[in-house]
Amino acid sequence: MIAQYLVLSAALFAIGAYGALARRNLLILLMSVELMLNGVNVALLAFSKMHASIPGHVFVLMVMGVAAAEVSVGLAILISVFRNRKTVDTGDLRSLKG
Amino acid sequence: MAIDPVFAVAAGLSVAAGLLMVTRRNPVYSAIMMLVAFLGLAVVYLKLDAPFLAAMHVLVYTGAILVLFLFVIMLLNLKPEEFGVEYPLPVRGAIGALCAGLFGLLALGIWNDPALRQPFKATPPGFGDVKAVGIELFGPYALPFELISVLILVAIFGGVVLAKRKL
Repeated sequence: MIAQYLVLSAALFAIGAYGALARRNLLILLMSVELMLNGVNVALLAFSKMHASIPGHVFVLMVMGVAAAEVSVGLAILISVFRNRKTVDTGDLRSLKG
Repeated sequence: MAIDPVFAVAAGLSVAAGLLMVTRRNPVYSAIMMLVAFLGLAVVYLKLDAPFLAAMHVLVYTGAILVLFLFVIMLLNLKPEEFGVEYPLPVRGAIGALCAGLFGLLALGIWNDPALRQPFKATPPGFGDVKAVGIELFGPYALPFELISVLILVAIFGGVVLAKRKL
């Protein structure tokens, strides 16, 4: 049945959301976003199997491509931030705060 | 209908590894836990009749993204005092309760919907293999597929421009 897969998807999304909101280490923040994207992928594949339709698989491939692009740019920003500010703590990055 | 045992093991492994991932202080442990979570998810993809995507998942996530994370961790070479100050425990607890509430609401809604509790209909033979996905990918979805390559090209340029010390 599809419900078990959707519950797993919701669990992964909630764990990722906790990591993205509650952690201040930029590296772990990016990893949590990856976990949330994976939760969505599980739901897409579950519905794809439920309806026996392949386009869901294509959407998952698109999500993987976007995730790879997102993480490479994110880590490049992280390296450049660490080089200039010597920190990966989001609490220390408040130069835009008035 | 009972929960499939293979799925239960793989899903439990992914969720446990995910929980450990977001709570470890050292990013190296988080990255290793991310590896365990992704391998568990690859088994779940196989259970969902998506062998091609399971292989792509292992290649892209554990092969590319995880190695990239480990490279950056190695490059930064953080000392334990540079991991950053976490939010105080009550704040983290409140956010945890919020996310647990989100999960509870979603799970309750999913579990109480009888349409989602039907057993899967049998998928046609060859469902989710390279040929089936490829026919869709290079047929109706050819334009988005090509646009993904443009996006990745932009990401390559972005990565070089942002991380290069001096252009």
